[in-house]
Amino acid sequence: MDTANETAQVRVEGVWKVFGRKTREAKELAEAGATREEIQTATGSVVAVRDVSFHVAAGETFVVMGLSGSGKSTLIRCVSHLVAPTKGTVELCGTELTQADSAKLRQLRRQKMAMVFQHFGLFPHRKVVDNVAYGLEVQGVDRQDRQDRARELLDTVGLEGWGDHYPQQLSGGMQQRVGLARALAVDPEVLFFDEPFSALDPLIRRDMQDELIDLQMKLQRTLVFITHDFAEALKLADRIAIMNDGAFVQVGTPVEILTSPADDYVRAFTQDAPVAKVLQACTLMKPLDGAVIDPGWPRVSSTTPLEAALPHLLGSTSPVVVCDEDGPPVGLLHGDDVAGVISENRP
Amino acid sequence: MANVTGARRKANGLRTASDSRLARFILAVGAIVVLILLFRLFTNFDVFPESWDIGLADPIDRARRWLINNQTSHWLYTVFLNPITDAIDWGIRRLESILRWFPWYSYPLFTGVGLWWTRGRVAGVLGLAGVALIGVIDLWEESFATLALMGVSVLMSMVIGIPLGIAAWRSDAVARVVRPTLDAMQTMPGFVYLIPFVLLFGVGRVPALISTVIFALAPVVRLTEVGLRTVPQVTVEASEMFGATERQTLRLVRLPQARPAIFAGMNQTTMLAMSMVVIAAFIGAGGLGQVVLRAMQSIEVGKASEAGVAIVIMAIVLDRFSTGIATADPGRDARAIKWLAPTVSAVGIVGGLLGHNKFPESLNWQFAPYVDDATDWARDNLYDIGGSGIGTGPFSDFVTLEFVTPLRELLASDIPWPAMIGIGVVLGLWARGIRLAVGIGAALFAIGFLGMWALSMDTLAQTIVGVAITLAIGVPVGIMSSHNDLLRTALKPVLDFFQTIPSFVLLVPVITLFHVGRIPGIIASVIYALPAAVHYTDLGLRRVPADIHEAAESFGATRSQRLRRVEMPLAAPELMVAVNQVIMLILAMVVIAGLVGGGGLGLEAVRGLRRSDAVGRGFEAGIAIVLLASILDRLTRAIADRLRPPAAV
Repeated sequence: MDTANETAQVRVEGVWKVFGRKTREAKELAEAGATREEIQTATGSVVAVRDVSFHVAAGETFVVMGLSGSGKSTLIRCVSHLVAPTKGTVELCGTELTQADSAKLRQLRRQKMAMVFQHFGLFPHRKVVDNVAYGLEVQGVDRQDRQDRARELLDTVGLEGWGDHYPQQLSGGMQQRVGLARALAVDPEVLFFDEPFSALDPLIRRDMQDELIDLQMKLQRTLVFITHDFAEALKLADRIAIMNDGAFVQVGTPVEILTSPADDYVRAFTQDAPVAKVLQACTLMKPLDGAVIDPGWPRVSSTTPLEAALPHLLGSTSPVVVCDEDGPPVGLLHGDDVAGVISENRP
Repeated sequence: MANVTGARRKANGLRTASDSRLARFILAVGAIVVLILLFRLFTNFDVFPESWDIGLADPIDRARRWLINNQTSHWLYTVFLNPITDAIDWGIRRLESILRWFPWYSYPLFTGVGLWWTRGRVAGVLGLAGVALIGVIDLWEESFATLALMGVSVLMSMVIGIPLGIAAWRSDAVARVVRPTLDAMQTMPGFVYLIPFVLLFGVGRVPALISTVIFALAPVVRLTEVGLRTVPQVTVEASEMFGATERQTLRLVRLPQARPAIFAGMNQTTMLAMSMVVIAAFIGAGGLGQVVLRAMQSIEVGKASEAGVAIVIMAIVLDRFSTGIATADPGRDARAIKWLAPTVSAVGIVGGLLGHNKFPESLNWQFAPYVDDATDWARDNLYDIGGSGIGTGPFSDFVTLEFVTPLRELLASDIPWPAMIGIGVVLGLWARGIRLAVGIGAALFAIGFLGMWALSMDTLAQTIVGVAITLAIGVPVGIMSSHNDLLRTALKPVLDFFQTIPSFVLLVPVITLFHVGRIPGIIASVIYALPAAVHYTDLGLRRVPADIHEAAESFGATRSQRLRRVEMPLAAPELMVAVNQVIMLILAMVVIAGLVGGGGLGLEAVRGLRRSDAVGRGFEAGIAIVLLASILDRLTRAIADRLRPPAAV
């Protein structure tokens, strides 16, 4: 964790956001442990985000999962500084946003970050290619260069040939690809995703998730991703933060969350989670540590979901050998560990 | 159990609320009756005492004389007003000379091609023919004067209105000042705008233009602000996230998305400007309005009709153009446009160089004589058909003698003036509360102090008769059209057409049938306000949600039960909005009808505009019109609010 802090690209320390007039009273009550309803009746103010801290390392995908009203949308707006936090600091690529003046903030936004929005936020009066080129236009890149770059990115997200349409002529999934291309066009180090796929049909959502994973493998950007979909969080995240009532309940890797939920609130999500589908063989395997491998043991690749490894484990006492993508074995998957996680999942 | 009592208590609560509302209303009516009786029995307060006239006219006439004497010497003119006058005058002249440089045939061509492009083939052909007709009836020169005035007015309205709209959107402080000002400005009949500018600038095109700009400004300001406010927040956030500056976001994201709203505002502004430019003939704006005005004064109905037709054509073409620009589908007929647009431009330039700018006299043809013949025939035959006592003449007499005159006498003298003020106050109290009541009382007193009591009651009586006729026709038609899509589709172009006609022009056909007097004004005002009555009634009834219709039907309600018990009460606030609109339109028209012998405040205002020794009285009449309009507007709007069902908690 300490090493992650060293290279953290996003540092959020003790961020609060209170909407309303009596922000100080509201904060004091919240610090004393009052619930959101109590604070609202007492002060008329809404505590949207309470005392949230986290770091995101370069190249990491950090997912904030919470139900509607949990404050996750306000949190990402505090982090990207679309909304100024009431208290606390946000640091991005070594610059403190909370101290930056508007010119500095603008410069950071032009160079370091970009955001993909829930309802796409595309400009209906501009062609797709001009939507993608917007960030560059704002920076003053000349027309030919920004158009070239925009078309290049449209190819990347699989929208070659759609540049001269208007966004509203495209399907929802395609519109969000435009949103993604628009964000990538400025070559940002940090990408914010505000529930980008929640407005899409389930099948299209899955395609978009897969595509984002592929892109992230290639680009290795720092992603802060907001979702209300626990399965989506498990699928995309390096680390997940579960948010409730404005505060983080638990922060951990998908495996940590699934295998040791911090409280009943988190457990409620894990119970319905498709654990055997989400967890991969590599997450539960024990390192080889020089153990002797029986050539008769079945072999699976490290990214195989547990579900696919199950048939090998059932009715057998021997472990499954987990191999790297290139072939060499990297660990052993034992039936007991898998059974443990799955039974934890179904109390 | 607890639920049941709760529900019952709630039901009781509702009943007591409506009971007390009814009780308050009965109390108010009772109070009015008692007031009238008391005043009639114990006092002789019939007519507002003349000795209470504060005599505002004299100082205004003095100011007018001073202004005329100092026009060339005082710094107010030399430093401030004259440069404005000169600049505006130069702009109008310049535009007019540019417009006149192009060959005559480029105008029908340009209109035809433009309307074909934005509206389709039929509109194109009609546009071409319509514009050509203006030349054929020999009103070409006058049209250019009107067009130049229109062009500068609309341009100035845009140049002032869009930044003002942006400012109102950006700053709540500005909005707090601008919005009520615009509301008040829209309440006033356009006519009264002329008076103060005549006082300041004398007669001519400049005061005409300034009053036009002020009258027409409201829609573009309002819709610019609305357009900017309704830009989706997420697109603004997206722009911010890319590090756009405020200006960049405004220019690249907000304004383009507000453009349809701004264009809609421009269209409304254009139409308001058109009606005002015509009325501005009263103060020497020239152009087509002047032709109508002169012809009407000498009862040359044919000539007035020709100019009226030219005005209507110009209004419709400008309307179609300004809505067409906003909604154009450039994909259609794009290939034809590719060669037509350059061709028309080339024709325009070549023709201009060749000096083909005069409409050829050989094409002239006047339809005025035929209209005059028809008017003579109508006067001889329709005024009193066969001496039977049936016809437009007896009809006028009937309405005048049975309704307008008695109502005027009732308001002006039979009901003592303190009782009239009392009625106003009680209505205000009932509709909204103490503030409105005090406002109405003060406004009525002010009318009295201006010495305009009797004239205002005359105008009010005409307005009430006009409103009653309009609603008697308009509401049933609106109800029918709300239940019948076919009728609605058939009515739409008719209503659109009548709404496009500048108010002043409506007087022309009416005086052919009814001569001068109060009745043509009332009839013209009915025609003017009918589209609004039908439209808002239809709109209000159509807004009643379908599931409420179905619920009523499922209880076995008949059609008339449904209309009376469910739809009308639910649509009541909208209907009250219809009443409000109708009242304002009728009042505006009744005032203009002062020109054709309508009497009342309008006549006084017209006289003030035309005779320099009557400016003071005209000014007083103008203020009285504004006060009357404000009272009626606030009161009807307050009643509309009252009728709204309580908002969800």
